[in-house]
Amino acid sequence: MSTVLDSKIPAGPLKDKWDNYKNTIKLVNPANKRKHTVLVVGTGLAGGSAAATLAELGYHVKSFCIQDSPRRAHSIAAQGGINAAKNYPNDGDTVWRLFYDTIKGGDYRSREANVHRLAQVSNNIIDQCVAQGVPFAREYGGLLDNRSFGGAQVSRTFYARGQTGQQLLLGAYQAMSRQIGAGNIDMYSRREMLDLVIVDGKARGIITRNLVTGEYERHFGDAVLLCTGGYGNVYYLSTNAKNSNVTAAWRCHKRGAYFANPCYTQIHPTCIPVSGDYQSKLTLMSESLRNDGRVWVPKKQGDNRRPQDIPEEDRDYYLERRYPSFGNLVPRDVASRNAKMATDEGRGVGETGLAVYLDFADSIKRLGRDVIEARYGNLFEMYERITGENPYEVPMRIFPAVHYTMGGLWVDYELQSTVPGLFVLGEANFSDHGANRLGASALMQGLADGYFVIPYTLGNYIANNSFPAVTGDEDAFNEAESAADARIKKLLSIQGTKTVTEFHRELGQIIWDQVGMSRTAEGLRKAIDQISALREEFWQNVRVPGEPTTYNKNLEFAGRVADFLELGELMARDALEREESCGGHFREEYQSAEGEAMRNDEDFTFVSAWQHTESGHVLHKENLEFENVELTTRSYK
Amino acid sequence: MSLTSHLNSPIGKKLVTGVTGLGLTFFVLMHMIGNLSMFSGDDAYNLYAHFLMSLGPLLYAVELGLVVFFLAHAINGVKIWMGKRKARPQGYKVYKSAGKPSMQSSSSRSMIITGIILLVFLVFHLISFKFGPGGPGNGDPAYLTTIDGVEMRDLAKLVREKFATGWYTWGYTAIMLLLVVHLRHGVWSALQSLGAMRPSLSPAIYTIGGLIGLGIGLGFIVMPLALYFGMI
Amino acid sequence: MANSMNITLKVWRQAGPDAQGGFETYVVPDANEHMSFLELLDVLNEQLIKEGKDPVEFDHDCREGICGSCGVVIDGMAHGPQQRTACCQLHMRHYKDGDTIVIEPWRAEGFPIIKDLVVDRSAFDRIIAAGGYISANTGAAQDANALPIAKYNADLAMDYATCIGCGACVAACPNASASLFTAAKIAQLSLLPQGDPERKTRVRNMVDQMDKEGFGDCSNHAECEAVCPKGISISSIAIMRREYVKALAD
Repeated sequence: MSTVLDSKIPAGPLKDKWDNYKNTIKLVNPANKRKHTVLVVGTGLAGGSAAATLAELGYHVKSFCIQDSPRRAHSIAAQGGINAAKNYPNDGDTVWRLFYDTIKGGDYRSREANVHRLAQVSNNIIDQCVAQGVPFAREYGGLLDNRSFGGAQVSRTFYARGQTGQQLLLGAYQAMSRQIGAGNIDMYSRREMLDLVIVDGKARGIITRNLVTGEYERHFGDAVLLCTGGYGNVYYLSTNAKNSNVTAAWRCHKRGAYFANPCYTQIHPTCIPVSGDYQSKLTLMSESLRNDGRVWVPKKQGDNRRPQDIPEEDRDYYLERRYPSFGNLVPRDVASRNAKMATDEGRGVGETGLAVYLDFADSIKRLGRDVIEARYGNLFEMYERITGENPYEVPMRIFPAVHYTMGGLWVDYELQSTVPGLFVLGEANFSDHGANRLGASALMQGLADGYFVIPYTLGNYIANNSFPAVTGDEDAFNEAESAADARIKKLLSIQGTKTVTEFHRELGQIIWDQVGMSRTAEGLRKAIDQISALREEFWQNVRVPGEPTTYNKNLEFAGRVADFLELGELMARDALEREESCGGHFREEYQSAEGEAMRNDEDFTFVSAWQHTESGHVLHKENLEFENVELTTRSYK
Repeated sequence: MSLTSHLNSPIGKKLVTGVTGLGLTFFVLMHMIGNLSMFSGDDAYNLYAHFLMSLGPLLYAVELGLVVFFLAHAINGVKIWMGKRKARPQGYKVYKSAGKPSMQSSSSRSMIITGIILLVFLVFHLISFKFGPGGPGNGDPAYLTTIDGVEMRDLAKLVREKFATGWYTWGYTAIMLLLVVHLRHGVWSALQSLGAMRPSLSPAIYTIGGLIGLGIGLGFIVMPLALYFGMI
Repeated sequence: MANSMNITLKVWRQAGPDAQGGFETYVVPDANEHMSFLELLDVLNEQLIKEGKDPVEFDHDCREGICGSCGVVIDGMAHGPQQRTACCQLHMRHYKDGDTIVIEPWRAEGFPIIKDLVVDRSAFDRIIAAGGYISANTGAAQDANALPIAKYNADLAMDYATCIGCGACVAACPNASASLFTAAKIAQLSLLPQGDPERKTRVRNMVDQMDKEGFGDCSNHAECEAVCPKGISISSIAIMRREYVKALAD
């Protein structure tokens, strides 16, 4: 039965909702906090900041990460920066503008109240991070420096060289470390969450596997915070870290948490292209490069001349041609789609034909090599390290790559999923970015959720509920652990002929082709069939080497690929149901005569939230009400 | 924490090694300059030695200080070396330096070896000269001389005898070259240990450290060689 | 397409923490110059799985040189021959057809081997937990611009803050010392006014923890700086020592 979900948005005018909420919630007595154990899964920006903050408040926190150290979560790889409405440059920024830009950037498919709260707390994040010693870039006067990012008209992005994610994460990690040292957080590294345990209708525990010894562990508490990141690795090739996965979120989904908007994925336009079959991941080049680089392909198909030998009249600067006012600075989704169109026409460049040029020759001529080096030196160096080509002399080759997933577990205003006591933070939830995320806002959301939202909403949940003691011996724990064990034993027993990576690569290719930058009903139906066939083959023919009782990366990956094989199908299904083009979701059937995306606000201004049932997935909707902004068509012509 | 435990901490050990190392470097520098007085003639040399002996309690204090410095320097060096073996019980099959800005060199790796050889030499050297003929407890009249009516030890005679022999001269020269090797890493390392380092200064200080080492070593070597070849 | 290369690998294999380890020799006949070093290991592992053998375990995650997960000693150098490059970003174009490469795990008492090339670096987490932070509870912060910090100091602090915690410094140090890792954090926080109130306890506790973890003493070989993927300067170690001396003055 399909239902309409209640997102529990507080009453009042938009700008007062968060204050109204905070004014009316129940609080937990300080002396009682330490009696409540909170399980925090994941130690990225969301999980790290949540664990540290909750421990500071006095809760007993147990924290889990898949890597060998909480400092390695993939938030660390974010380059560009973090937005905040500080308006330090005095260029007209306000909380409202940050809110509005984020809603518009998300193509009007996110929840107003959440996004506004995000914009409100954005300033506190910067204060907090500076207090922790995050070395943001500064001006000579000693004050913080800002830059504009992702085509924003104001400079609201704070940054620490090209390593902002790293510095923010280390800030959260150090705050956590302080609590670990003080005994307020029990840290469990090299652990994978394999299941969620629900006792009497509430999330009360998790099953983890120790990735070194293979032992299962039962952890229990009064709430579970899932901060496990996005599912971009379903595409096999993405800018995500190799260990990023959907398993924890997917197992929660199978225990009753709805999965929202799985088809909203962000494909970043400027990544280093794939060079061969062995390719294991893709590397992002900051989108700031488009400020001075010109994107082009040859006009003729199959033009094999070296780029420097192709004269001006034989080049097609397609972004400048199609979008005269924004040119090379169109948003990520538009830039990516156009690169795909050019290569689909057989005009791609490089050995594989799956790349376009990003050319700095004109800028170097105009500004001088020194200026370009000062702006992008480290990026050029990285490009050369990976490709062996010097971008000062030869145009860069770039191609879009999967970068971020806007979809995730459905949560209400309190970040609580459809399973009571299961809260979902950061990229793992679906809440703030709609159908397309703007640059420098992922870091903002992860930290907003962890530092400034969850301490209130979790407290409200704990104060309003009673928690009969659990011991880890309940049937629900036994059942979950045996299910996890059976699955691992099954994976090891198949001993087929294809490796986990081969399956993953095949799955990735299907999803990339059909649920990637542009989608059609026909292609999506085909993908659903192909994925389901591949999944069947996986469970017949996968070969997982080694033992369950030692460190065994292939076994870990096998479990994750098995989950991706289920998620992939749901993504295609979601994309099929959404008969409109919005943000990162482009359906070829729904485009204007000029090939631009066409939203259907009449019929699709809702969040798709999928429930897993024994008999298949059921679609529920959360209607999005826009009381404060007017829905318009994004145009970059 | 007590002072001893601080001095035994990873940084304390380096501070002690650094301070004593610099002190000893200063000592050998002074010693070397003193040796050069031989070039002004045997009398000058003997007068200089006699002057030092006549300092009495002050000399004993300096000597005691030197003993403490030598011991502290050596004990810490051995401790660091033993700690290194404990910190990496199993070594690499292949090990290479990654090159600049690494300061790793034959001298940095051989500090314990050059250090021990220098220590053994020191004992031998003290027996040969300080406690040799004419020295304390060994008042051989053949090694006494009178300059301007003052009777004093004829150390110059002893020095001339010793450096008349080939093996002694060349052995001494070799040991002094080891001192150069020790100081090449040592001077720079001591300054880094004491926290007196900025990235922009490192290469310069390393070079200066090396030159100081080389200067001290050469200064020690010229006099014996000049004696051996009969130039003075 | 890129030319295929035949690469021989001598890899340290060790079944578990207490097992006896040894070198195994493998041949990857179809490596190519565009591959990263870890992709070469991926190809080897696919080959081993197909042959019914256990793949070589190694830690890796972001593969873009920032998470600090990967790290092996390649032909005697931590992270391999290219400076300022974690081994995930080392590419095979630095090798030629027919080369033999020796791969070993980080070797240090403070980094016990878990399996093959995977080591336990949790000692680093404990060093940070001993004091590598600024105590600032969430919500207590003043406005970010209320505390100006000279650009020079902020930039220098950032230089030290770029440490990725990979452990190459320990691996390459002839003494297996963790001084560069520890000092990078101490130096970063010592340069910022926010770090001032805790500076004395921080340096004492972190140095103390570093010692307890079984790392060796620094002999100023500076090999750590040469292998550091972020090129962190040993001047941080000089700063750590100055901080330590100042802390003694109490």
